[in-house]
Amino acid sequence: MPSIAMIFLAFLQALLLLALAPLMTGLSRMIRARMHSRRGPGVLQDYRDIAKLLKRQDVAPAASGPVFRFTPYIVLSAMLLLAMALPVLSPHSLLGPVADLITFVYVFALARFFFALSGIDSGSAFAGIGASRELMMGVLVEPTMILSLLVVALIEGTTNLGSISTAMAGGQLQSPVALSLAMLAFAFTVFIEMGKLPFDMAEAEQELQEGPLTEYSGSALAVLKLGLALKKMVLVLFLLGVFLPFGNAGSDSLASLLGSTLAVALKVLLIFLLFGLIENSMARGRYMLSSRVTWIGFGVAVLAFVFYLTGL
Amino acid sequence: MSGTPLFFLLLSVLLYLGGAVASLLLARHESLAIRCSGLAGMLGALAGLAAAIPVLHGAGTQLYAVAGPFSFAHFVVRLDPLAALMLLAISLLMFASALYSLAYVREYAGRGAWAMGFFLNSFVAAMVALVVADNAFYFLIFFELMSLASYFLVISDQDPEAVSAGFLYFLIAHAGSVLIMVAFFILYSHSGSLDFDSFRSAHLSAPLASLVFLLAFFGFGAKAGMVPLHSWLPRAHPAAPSHASALMSGVMVKIGVFGIIKVGVDLLGAHLAWWGLIVLGFGAVSAVLGVLYALAEHDIKRLLAYHTVENVGIILMGVGTGMIALAGGHTELAGLALLAALYHTLNHAVFKGLLFLGAGAIIFRTHSRDMEQMGGLARRMPLTATCFLIGAMAISALPPLNGFVSEWFTYQALFSLSQGADLASRIAGPIAIVMLALTGALAAMCFVKAYGISFSGEARSSGAEHAQEVPLSMRAGMLLLALASILLGLGAPLLAPQLAAVATSLSGGAAISVAQGSLVFPSQAQTTTLSTPLLAILLIAIPLLPLLILGALKGGRLPRRQRGESWACGYGQEAIMSVSAHNFVGPLHEMFAPLYHLREHLDPSARLRRSLDWLIAASTRLEPLWDIHVVSRVASLVTRSGQLLQGLQGGDFRIYCLYVLVTLVILLVLVV
Amino acid sequence: MQNIALWTILLPLAGAALSLLVAQRHAKWVALLFSALATVSVIGLACDFNAAGRVAINYSLLSVGSTQLIGLTIDRLSVLVALAVVSLGLLVVLYSTAYLSLGNKEHPHEGRPRYYAFLSLFIAAMAGLVLSSTMLGQLVFFEITGACSWGLIGYYEKPKAQYGAIKALLITHLASIGLYIAAALLFSHTGSFALSGLASLGEGAKLAIFLGILVAAWGKSAQLPLHAWLPDAMEAPTPVSAYLHAASMVKVGVYIYARAIYSAGQVPQLIGWIGVIMAVITMIYSFLLYLPQRDMKRLLAYSTISQLSLIFMALSLSIFGSQLAFNGGIAHIFNHAYAKSLFFLVAGALSYTCGTRQLPALRGLLRHLPLLGVSFCVAALAITGVPPFNGFFSKFPIFTAGFQLGREHLLLLPCVVLALIESVASFAWFLKWFGATTPGESSEAVVNASPIPLAIKISLVVLIIMCVASSFIAASWLN
Repeated sequence: MPSIAMIFLAFLQALLLLALAPLMTGLSRMIRARMHSRRGPGVLQDYRDIAKLLKRQDVAPAASGPVFRFTPYIVLSAMLLLAMALPVLSPHSLLGPVADLITFVYVFALARFFFALSGIDSGSAFAGIGASRELMMGVLVEPTMILSLLVVALIEGTTNLGSISTAMAGGQLQSPVALSLAMLAFAFTVFIEMGKLPFDMAEAEQELQEGPLTEYSGSALAVLKLGLALKKMVLVLFLLGVFLPFGNAGSDSLASLLGSTLAVALKVLLIFLLFGLIENSMARGRYMLSSRVTWIGFGVAVLAFVFYLTGL
Repeated sequence: MSGTPLFFLLLSVLLYLGGAVASLLLARHESLAIRCSGLAGMLGALAGLAAAIPVLHGAGTQLYAVAGPFSFAHFVVRLDPLAALMLLAISLLMFASALYSLAYVREYAGRGAWAMGFFLNSFVAAMVALVVADNAFYFLIFFELMSLASYFLVISDQDPEAVSAGFLYFLIAHAGSVLIMVAFFILYSHSGSLDFDSFRSAHLSAPLASLVFLLAFFGFGAKAGMVPLHSWLPRAHPAAPSHASALMSGVMVKIGVFGIIKVGVDLLGAHLAWWGLIVLGFGAVSAVLGVLYALAEHDIKRLLAYHTVENVGIILMGVGTGMIALAGGHTELAGLALLAALYHTLNHAVFKGLLFLGAGAIIFRTHSRDMEQMGGLARRMPLTATCFLIGAMAISALPPLNGFVSEWFTYQALFSLSQGADLASRIAGPIAIVMLALTGALAAMCFVKAYGISFSGEARSSGAEHAQEVPLSMRAGMLLLALASILLGLGAPLLAPQLAAVATSLSGGAAISVAQGSLVFPSQAQTTTLSTPLLAILLIAIPLLPLLILGALKGGRLPRRQRGESWACGYGQEAIMSVSAHNFVGPLHEMFAPLYHLREHLDPSARLRRSLDWLIAASTRLEPLWDIHVVSRVASLVTRSGQLLQGLQGGDFRIYCLYVLVTLVILLVLVV
Repeated sequence: MQNIALWTILLPLAGAALSLLVAQRHAKWVALLFSALATVSVIGLACDFNAAGRVAINYSLLSVGSTQLIGLTIDRLSVLVALAVVSLGLLVVLYSTAYLSLGNKEHPHEGRPRYYAFLSLFIAAMAGLVLSSTMLGQLVFFEITGACSWGLIGYYEKPKAQYGAIKALLITHLASIGLYIAAALLFSHTGSFALSGLASLGEGAKLAIFLGILVAAWGKSAQLPLHAWLPDAMEAPTPVSAYLHAASMVKVGVYIYARAIYSAGQVPQLIGWIGVIMAVITMIYSFLLYLPQRDMKRLLAYSTISQLSLIFMALSLSIFGSQLAFNGGIAHIFNHAYAKSLFFLVAGALSYTCGTRQLPALRGLLRHLPLLGVSFCVAALAITGVPPFNGFFSKFPIFTAGFQLGREHLLLLPCVVLALIESVASFAWFLKWFGATTPGESSEAVVNASPIPLAIKISLVVLIIMCVASSFIAASWLN
């Protein structure tokens, strides 16, 4: 059981990530605008959006129910919980009992469950379809996610995120082929979960991922947007924490902390940049065919597992 | 002996039987019958709890034996930790169901409510007796009694659909019990006694033990509703009244799991690894197909029934892992896996019971099982909606509720299995994990649909429009299970060691440590941990932050407003536009089409019907053949030989004299 | 004890004679009185026997020189079966008093004295056969039951009924030749007709005698290839069918077989093999003939055949050395008698109240005729072997013994498994008919049903109780 001080520290970490999340989404928007050869909004546009929304009235349809009302808070708090447990600066998790791969996957599921349910609960037809698609993507992605994480967990002998991260950062690499394939598969699922083309377009609000957002407005929308932005951040850091924890602080000294802060910031930026590049060079795929693409991801994960079995 | 667990056990069974008989005797005063059977059920459940808890808490196995009237079988009662756990699950669920039934059964007044009280109480009494019976003969008797009583609950509506569902159910249950019987007979022929204790020490050759295991596995698997023996389940459970469905789905199918553990682990000792692999395989397939078929349903009770198939699959995955580990001698892993299975057994009893009671509450008010006829109930029945939501979250394994804890343990057990030495478990483990993950995602989708279509949006029928919150006793029953669901999740650090003790009593290894403080962990080494209390506290505390932000930035914001229609591309919103149960899962149907086709291709009922028709036609032709070819042939032969002999009897007395003479001569010759 | 046993035989005999002598309207009461007295006497016999420590006793009734011709044997086997046949006789007579009346929708008809005379005589003959200690005695009573069954099957004097009657008489008489030969052989080898002589015989003689007994038993118990009479015997008034073709006459066959096995000690295993294999063939054949039946009584006739095969199988298994199988078989004789009587009496009550016993015409019994619905259910479950009803408790030891013997005689296993499958299949079939007839909306015939007379109600209720209790009685008696 972690001490109160650790929990507080973890909370600070989560707050920091929350504060930075709109920056990253802003960055994504900027990359897109640049690749579209347009000027686009500034990097800080998402902060401005959220601040504006927070001042607006929250309007809900008459048919909406209690789930619709509480979902923004549940999504945000689930994401904050994960953000607390992530190993960010050091390969250790500040919140050991939460930093388990399976717990992580199911806390994501918790957020997804309510997010999708809010779509139906709003009573809107669009939001309902969006909810269905959101869940469908979850069904397609989750096995791949679990399998790729399983390969790492098997190699390191534990499902604890902190331990895996520590082992990956410290020891020499076992089964490098399996690990890199698993990373590829996991990155693929992270990419989808972040709501990127060709599967999704997070910014278009009647699209899949943000379909359930249709009926949100004002302050509730702001909270939910924060939650979704944080989700992206958490996903990227999850990817980094499991597969690429290199450069994270080994000790608590200020210098190494600073160094790792820099390293993490750089890695996060790189990932967002990379994902942005990939996303914007894609066309929107037909939704019904997305299962064909996700099979590729699953295939890569299976390949990773086979390589693990052979010990490569 | 008063005050001992066995006394309370006896008391519990007697109370159930008393409730049953009282309900029967009060047939003419139905409201009194409903109250009597409900109260007796509650008291019996309390007595059952009083019997189970001390045993789980370290009082140890309780034994009682008496000769009984049959020379070939002793009546042996054995309240061991496993039986106590089952008793706990049965009693817990029975308490809530009986409480719920006080109001719910009034719906059936004039349609055999008294019979329902009779059969429900006898059904539970048979289950309680079954889990503690330690003799094959009595075990089978109680097994059949349980099926019999529940058969009548299934056909209580007496419409053709219910009757045919009941037929299928009872037939499969009976055929299963015959398989189990054969398994016991084989054991008996080697041990010389029908006592389970003698089975435990019987030494069977590997092929024979495997045969026994397979017979018992499929026999109990039919009861557990495992794919491919599940076809009765989605038909029988919806037909029964909801509190009976809760018990059937929540605990009766677990008797199947209990039996598999009993025979596979307790009696046969799980010697061979492939037994476990089979259990694991059937479990994994049941889990995925169960939830997939559940998604296709829009009858809320059928949907829940298919989820029972899924959850039995998850439990079997734990059992299978435990058996593989036992065969390999890894008692620690076996303990962990059985812990996961038993934990999920208990959890599923609670949340599936809760969901069925919730579904019953909806049906009580809307008089329909079709989810397309519901909608908007959350605002009209807030407590039912909240309880149903908690059940839905628990069954979707969302943290920090109980379903998550047991699935987490299942994942950990499978993970340990994947790290095993032999290739079979290194491949089987990960496949099972992936299937479990897929199941989890599908279950979440299914319960978003179940809750969303029933409780959200606008009312889609007048029944749903005029629905009100259900009466107090029904609310209390649901609330009780909802609380249990939360407590079983948050109380994991307290509960897991108790269940681990039950699991180690089966696996036979040293005690395993799975909890410390507020943490639970899969192994001594604490390589990874889980703390549901911490998760819960954080999940509840963290939203304070966004609320604070909201409060700080309130400024001139207007208060929340809830009115008007939702956005429909500028058109007027109509009820028909909102998402339906069918189109919610449309994409899934397309993407998993092969698995849905599989069901149609593999459905044997059409082929069975054809072959039965053929058989009837053939035997119709067969029946007169005997008379035509044998009886009438013989008869005509007799007539013809009579006609032949007629020539001898011409009527001329002189010829008769000749006969006498000839006979005399022949006799004389013979004598001389 | 000897006297009580004798009274059990003589009282119904006297009833038969008296019911012919008194006026027609008194005949049924005379028969009822005497069968009730016989029942009291048989219960007294059971109590006495029990009090005396259940030691088997033989009495000689009629001897020529030192040769015992007719005698009584009182042991667990005979007393138990006598209890069943006499008490069921009382219930059937009671039932008949109401059934054979003008209120009957299918056969409005007031019972004639000869009906009651035949029935009482039948009870006497059954009691006599069961208590006989000699093969000659068995033979005599065997033939009396055949004659009575002829009289009762053809009672309505319709061509079909008479055809059935003569068929039954001829086939069972043909079969009785086996018993004649067996008796003659027994006499020529031991110089006595006493069954106890069987034990001292050599292998070859035993084989021949048992073959003779088997043939006779197959004929009376309607086993393949001598089964053809039973379905046609369903032309009899239903109480007669209940008594003759479920409880007593068909039990003659299995009983003489059981009695011979009980007396003979070691029996050649060949007999066991023949018995088991014929039993399995009959069982499957009769199950197949369940399928086309629409008339409830014919369905029950075939079910009787298959249940008797099970008893044959149990007794034949006991030849391989299993006491469990023997006790199971005897208990099944006892249990099946009550269960099948109940089923036939339900069929009769349906004829009485609804005017039909065609199963497709019956629906929704539970709503308008709850007692018949419940009885139907109890009878079906008892026949198919679902606890807590009696069938299960005697089937279970039979199958247990079968599997136990299967360890040594591997070929027995497939036979026992086939019997189990037949059991499940007939369960399915009866469950199907239960579902079709009992729950749900009532059909026209059921809606217009006339009320059930008290005598019928009493018989049904007693039989329902016995369907639960009889297994415990049999088990503790044979224990």
